[in-house]
Amino acid sequence: MAGETGEAQLQVRFITKQEQYAISDSPYAIQSNVQSVELNTLLNALLKENRPSFEKSVEFDFLICGELLCTSIAEHLQEKGLSTEDTLEIEYLERFPAPSPQDCLMHDDWVSAVHTHGSWILSGSYDNSIHIWNTKGQHKLAIPGHTSPVKAISWVSFNGDQAIFASGSHDQSAMLWVWNVSGNSVDCVVTCRGHEKGVECLAVSADAKSFATGSWDTNICLWSTSLSDEDNVPAKKKQKPDQGNTREPMTVLKGHREAVSGVQWMDFNTVVSSGWDHLLKIWDCELGGIKQDIAGNKAFFDVDWSPLSNSLITASSDRHIRLYDPRSTDSIVKTTFTSHTGWVQSVRWSKTRDTLFLSAGYDGFVKLWETRSPKTPLYDLSGHEDKVLCCDWSNPTFLVTGSCDNTLRIFKSKHATGNA
Amino acid sequence: MPPYKAGLKRKVISDKKSDSDIEEKDSNSDNEVEDLLQGDLDKESDATDSEHEQEDAGSDGERDEVLFDDSADSLLEEDQQSEESLEESSDLSDSEDNDSGDSADDDESQPESDEEESADSGAETGTAPSASGSSDESNKKNQVLKKDNEKSNIKQAPTKKKAVKQRQKKKMSSIDVLANKIQEAKVSTEPVQQKDEYESGDTSDEEDRVNTAGEVPMWWYNEYPHIGYDLDGRRLIKPPQRDHIDEFLKKCEDPEFWRTVRDPSTGQDIVLSKEDLQMLERLRQSRVPSATHDEYEPWVEWFSREVLATPLRAFPEHKRSFLPSRSEQKQISRIVHALKMGWTKTRKQIADERKKKKERQFYNLWGAGEAGEAGEARAPRSLPAPRRALPTHAESYNPPPEYLLDRREMKEWDKLSETPWKRKYTFLPTRHASLRDVPAYPRYVRERFLRCLDLYLAPRAIKMRLTINAEDLVPKLPSPRDLQPFPTSEVLRITGHEALVRSVDFDPSGQYIVSGSDDGTVKVWETSSGRCLRTVRLGAGVARVAWTPALGLSLVAVALGRRLLLLNPGADIGAHRVAADTDALLAEPPPAHDVLMDERTSSCVQWEVVDAEQWARGVRVAVAHFKPVTHVAWHARGDYVAVTLAEGAARAVVVHQLSRRRSQLPFRRAKGLVQCAVFHPHRPLIFVATQRVVRVYDLVKQELVRKLQTGAQWISAIAVHPAGDNLLVASYDRKLVWFDLELSARPYQTLRLHGGAVRSVAFHRRYPLFASAGDDRYLVVAHGMVYNDLLQNPLLVPLKQLPGPERCGELCVLDVRWHPAQPWLLAAAADNTIRLYA
Repeated sequence: MAGETGEAQLQVRFITKQEQYAISDSPYAIQSNVQSVELNTLLNALLKENRPSFEKSVEFDFLICGELLCTSIAEHLQEKGLSTEDTLEIEYLERFPAPSPQDCLMHDDWVSAVHTHGSWILSGSYDNSIHIWNTKGQHKLAIPGHTSPVKAISWVSFNGDQAIFASGSHDQSAMLWVWNVSGNSVDCVVTCRGHEKGVECLAVSADAKSFATGSWDTNICLWSTSLSDEDNVPAKKKQKPDQGNTREPMTVLKGHREAVSGVQWMDFNTVVSSGWDHLLKIWDCELGGIKQDIAGNKAFFDVDWSPLSNSLITASSDRHIRLYDPRSTDSIVKTTFTSHTGWVQSVRWSKTRDTLFLSAGYDGFVKLWETRSPKTPLYDLSGHEDKVLCCDWSNPTFLVTGSCDNTLRIFKSKHATGNA
Repeated sequence: MPPYKAGLKRKVISDKKSDSDIEEKDSNSDNEVEDLLQGDLDKESDATDSEHEQEDAGSDGERDEVLFDDSADSLLEEDQQSEESLEESSDLSDSEDNDSGDSADDDESQPESDEEESADSGAETGTAPSASGSSDESNKKNQVLKKDNEKSNIKQAPTKKKAVKQRQKKKMSSIDVLANKIQEAKVSTEPVQQKDEYESGDTSDEEDRVNTAGEVPMWWYNEYPHIGYDLDGRRLIKPPQRDHIDEFLKKCEDPEFWRTVRDPSTGQDIVLSKEDLQMLERLRQSRVPSATHDEYEPWVEWFSREVLATPLRAFPEHKRSFLPSRSEQKQISRIVHALKMGWTKTRKQIADERKKKKERQFYNLWGAGEAGEAGEARAPRSLPAPRRALPTHAESYNPPPEYLLDRREMKEWDKLSETPWKRKYTFLPTRHASLRDVPAYPRYVRERFLRCLDLYLAPRAIKMRLTINAEDLVPKLPSPRDLQPFPTSEVLRITGHEALVRSVDFDPSGQYIVSGSDDGTVKVWETSSGRCLRTVRLGAGVARVAWTPALGLSLVAVALGRRLLLLNPGADIGAHRVAADTDALLAEPPPAHDVLMDERTSSCVQWEVVDAEQWARGVRVAVAHFKPVTHVAWHARGDYVAVTLAEGAARAVVVHQLSRRRSQLPFRRAKGLVQCAVFHPHRPLIFVATQRVVRVYDLVKQELVRKLQTGAQWISAIAVHPAGDNLLVASYDRKLVWFDLELSARPYQTLRLHGGAVRSVAFHRRYPLFASAGDDRYLVVAHGMVYNDLLQNPLLVPLKQLPGPERCGELCVLDVRWHPAQPWLLAAAADNTIRLYA
């Protein structure tokens, strides 16, 4: 049977949205058992034929019916339930190049949170400390300050020599730090107290004026990132001289019934949060109310929102990553990505490509996904020897992951600037 | 008939007609109601009238026939005809008037009867014979009128159909029609008779001159100037006597002379009125003096052999005649009931039956198949006779040559002539040239007979074949796929202990796990990552850990040898405020006079003073017992801890109260080897598991509520459903026993899901799940749905065998716990790990 299908001829036509690789619109007859490798060679030959200037061979990915081709065309079509009689349109695009492992930064304890900005990497660890590294792997600073494991961390802003970052910890507080880059000195400016249990997640808004924290006490608190107290703390609160740097939350968003595990800003006024109560909630920060509820059937561990594709990806207490469209009124999962063998702890969208995202799982793998390929990830980034707790793709060049094996790994993506 | 009479009659009748026309419809509709109201006697009177009426009806019918013919061309001449008919009817009444004897007293009697009628309806039922007689008179008149009216009505009827209908109606119930007539007549009498009153000839004007002389010859007064005396006794002076000349002159002058007579009693001249003259005329003709009298009225029979319009006796009706009799009602209801139940039969039914019995009964030979009749429903089903085998080629008249017997076969055939049943055929295959040559079959009758014998003597029966699949015998359980969520795989393996983990527990929010191990440590872990957050070294093997269910407290009960320790796991675990509150609460023991324990209790329980070094390690309360602690269970409110001591006999169960630092021994006598004691989730009950029996005690009333016979050899653990009505008992002999406490003290279901001793069992607090684990490699997750509906039994569906840790020696899994909110299962394994399944 397989042999028969292998014999079959297919009429295909190649189309692309990337102009530099455009070829003529004529249909080709190919064997139906070819895979993307053969298609690649065919396409490269065609390109070379058309343009003499084209020398370096390019790797392509092929989309058939909006899904990435991973098996042979015949199998793909069978899966999709399409006939092999019609002329098939195969869209091709330049393949996202494989990220290469660049560095492994050793910590003293589990790495629970990581964030990059430019060439600076911030990592939080279970030994209550925060570390600053540069992307070349140099350890700049170890910052003790929290009294419990740091669970969330994020850069707030870079302003010349002064960099601000925020950290949330299980000691029920979030801290706002100022790092003098050239002097390499750090100072805890504000301690944000308002949560009754450990802070689990933290996100800074796009305008860097405020940040949100989610906690085990089921609340989400919104805080100001301004370094001076005067403008946003009420007068009566200032009368605590012993805790001069303490700050109260601007807004407390109450609504989750279990721990808040992930929080992300959608725009200046909207926050999306994921909880252990199987709910995704979209909040209006001004009004402090819930705009939308999306119900899942597993506890959510993380959520990320991409402004490019306007969709949410979630990690939950099973092997699957789920893609939600917050604009659709019903909470139907648009796509389920299944490849991890353990819980997925963290998911992050690419900042530049609307179809790529990164996931970190308890199976020790970090996976790079293409949204159009729900069964197979583009790449498995291996290297970690234990549960991967966090991942970050804020800098499009570097994929950073932190794990229970006390390491933070940096993968470099070569061609991250490729247009979407 | 003289014309003046007819004119008079018409006048009266026209009045009556106008009234009765209006009232006819009303009375028709009212008729039935009145019938009902008037009761029995009225009916009687109807009945008495009926015969007469039937005759009438008959004649009516005939008359109608005639009228019907008239009606075709009479639409235009309506008025004339009606007048004619009136005349006819008056003629009729005249003719009959001769027969009625007492018609003369009409004038006096009618007003009376009218008064009576208007006064009470009793008059209608004929209470007073005389009155009724007179009313009958008026009735007669009215009836006549009525008939006339009807006639005119019929004539007015535009189509044949209507007329026919009316006629039919009349024929059908002429009695009713008569009754109607009577009713109408009664209603319409009143105005007519009022008129009569005014017409009466007696005028009071004449009465002022009344002679009271009496019946004396008038010539006695010839010599006197007066002629008699008036009412006051004054002399009545004779009017001036006229002589013959005067008479003559008057005769010439007075035109009224011819009708003037002298009243001999008063001596006055009286001019006769026209009526008087008419009366004289009638008398002279020897007819009835009254002009109003209708001699030919139809005779209404009111008293005869058949008709009794007026009763012979005019007693007022007894009350019971118009009140329904209760005893009769009872009797009737009894009869009706008996009829309904078929105990008695009506005469008609009896007659029918008798008739049926008289008819000849035939046995329904062919109706056996009809299941319609009740008697034959039970008859055995007819079994079709087995078919005979079709004739073979050998039986053909012209069989193929191979079927014909050759010589050798023929010899054999002949040899078997003594025992013909051993032959190959029962017949000899023979060849005939054509069908015409086939002779009569000699054995035909015999073979038919044998066949009949076969059918008759060989009993046949239908064999009912049951097809039962093995799958059908297994109870239908929902597919596990529909009962999600439940844990399906191991997601976290938490390592860190150096010896087997005896016990694990979640904190109330599910954020942390506490575990106690044989290596003498209690560790607190983060659930989501499996990170060890805190280790408390206690120096001896920890038998049991249990996190307090109270949200406002941060306490872990630890069974450590003979001691029960309550640890505060520390500031960074859970909320700071809660930890601080707990510390503040437990820092100072309550005053000693509050702590009152009897001697028996104090001999086995000792609340220790926690020193600073222990306090720093997290120990907040320590209680020493006289025997090793094997089991610890919190009360749902977190104030009480039930502790089970090994070999404690009667003092095996101790209940500690934290707030008052006090202990109680709830039981006086040992009932067996106590395995564990668990509180009911919301009622003051305690479940105490001994070796084979679980006893339920009420702690308030201090009495045994229930004794559950588990049927297990040695109970290892029990778990109470969060709703409190169901109980799971795990035993070392591989059994898991579910008790529905509402149902009975016997096991609702015994599950044998394990290959080894079951050591631990747990209910999920939110999901309908329970899990058990023991010495075999598998943890069993099952769906245990408890319904609020008391009629519905719990639904138990084993869902999943989760592959557990490898066996270490004899042990495998020592404890299982459910996450308080998520469908996650935690297992304490003997290979020093803790495993989280989700």
